Amino acid sequence: MAYRVLVVDDSPVMRSFIRRVMTLSGFDLGECLEAGNGEEALAQLNAHRVDVILTDINMPKMNGEELMRRLCADGILKTTPAVVISTDATNERILRMISLGAEGYMSKPFTPEALREELERVIGDRDASRA
Amino acid sequence: MPPELEQHWKLERQANLGQATLDQEPAAVQTMQEAAAQVLETMFFSEAEVAACEHAWLASAPCAMIRFEGSHCGEMQLALSAESADPIAASFLGLEPMELTDAQRGQVIQELSNILCGAMLSHLWPESELALASPELTAWQEWPDEGALHRCFLISEGMLAISVRLISKSPTARPVEE
Repeated sequence: MAYRVLVVDDSPVMRSFIRRVMTLSGFDLGECLEAGNGEEALAQLNAHRVDVILTDINMPKMNGEELMRRLCADGILKTTPAVVISTDATNERILRMISLGAEGYMSKPFTPEALREELERVIGDRDASRA
Repeated sequence: MPPELEQHWKLERQANLGQATLDQEPAAVQTMQEAAAQVLETMFFSEAEVAACEHAWLASAPCAMIRFEGSHCGEMQLALSAESADPIAASFLGLEPMELTDAQRGQVIQELSNILCGAMLSHLWPESELALASPELTAWQEWPDEGALHRCFLISEGMLAISVRLISKSPTARPVEE
């Protein structure tokens, strides 16, 4: 099954990198949607169903924390797993994002294999909870 | 950066330099070296080994500056030698060097500084709460040795230079701009 992923990051080169390493890692990527901030992400999610969301934290207009709050407040969107990808690996930040509903947290730098494992883990957990 | 904020940072530096020094942090040197090696290998498919400092190349080097604030305040600057910027950016994006645009080259250097700064600070102070500002492309600045941590690295395609220094947080410090 090919998965549809939404990548949310204000850096175009980081979005390109994530898209590329998902493919390099062997993850079954069907379609990769992109958004430059939380607002654009919500617009994408209102138009398309995705299997998983990968989001940065520090972004203009709507940051990753606010995006997570909006997702959790939405009865439909909250069932879509979200993984945070950030340079910030401090314990406080990780715990805060998990408490806001993130199902995974990847700190940069990360390997393609680590990203694939995290994607498959959260998608597997979602599928298990729906079974 | 707005002139007002630039002036604020200038005053902060003048008022606080020397009060907090990263060169006295025992783990800082090792952390910088490990972070550089790990980031370059993992996400830029390159290597990084500590090299002697011969700074003539920095005059023409693409450079990014990033500031951080929170439980620790300071700034980090990073430069890539001119011949290494294109291969590093191309490797990150999976492109041929001749396919790169100037904007992509700059964005990759900014992203490299962002990742390196975050990795280094998170390893040095995992219990801290830090906010990183958006990196800015700028010219390399030679900082005084005292109080700053600096290393040059030999990477697969050329040279990489990193300097980090702390600035004590004052009650008037303003939050970093995202």
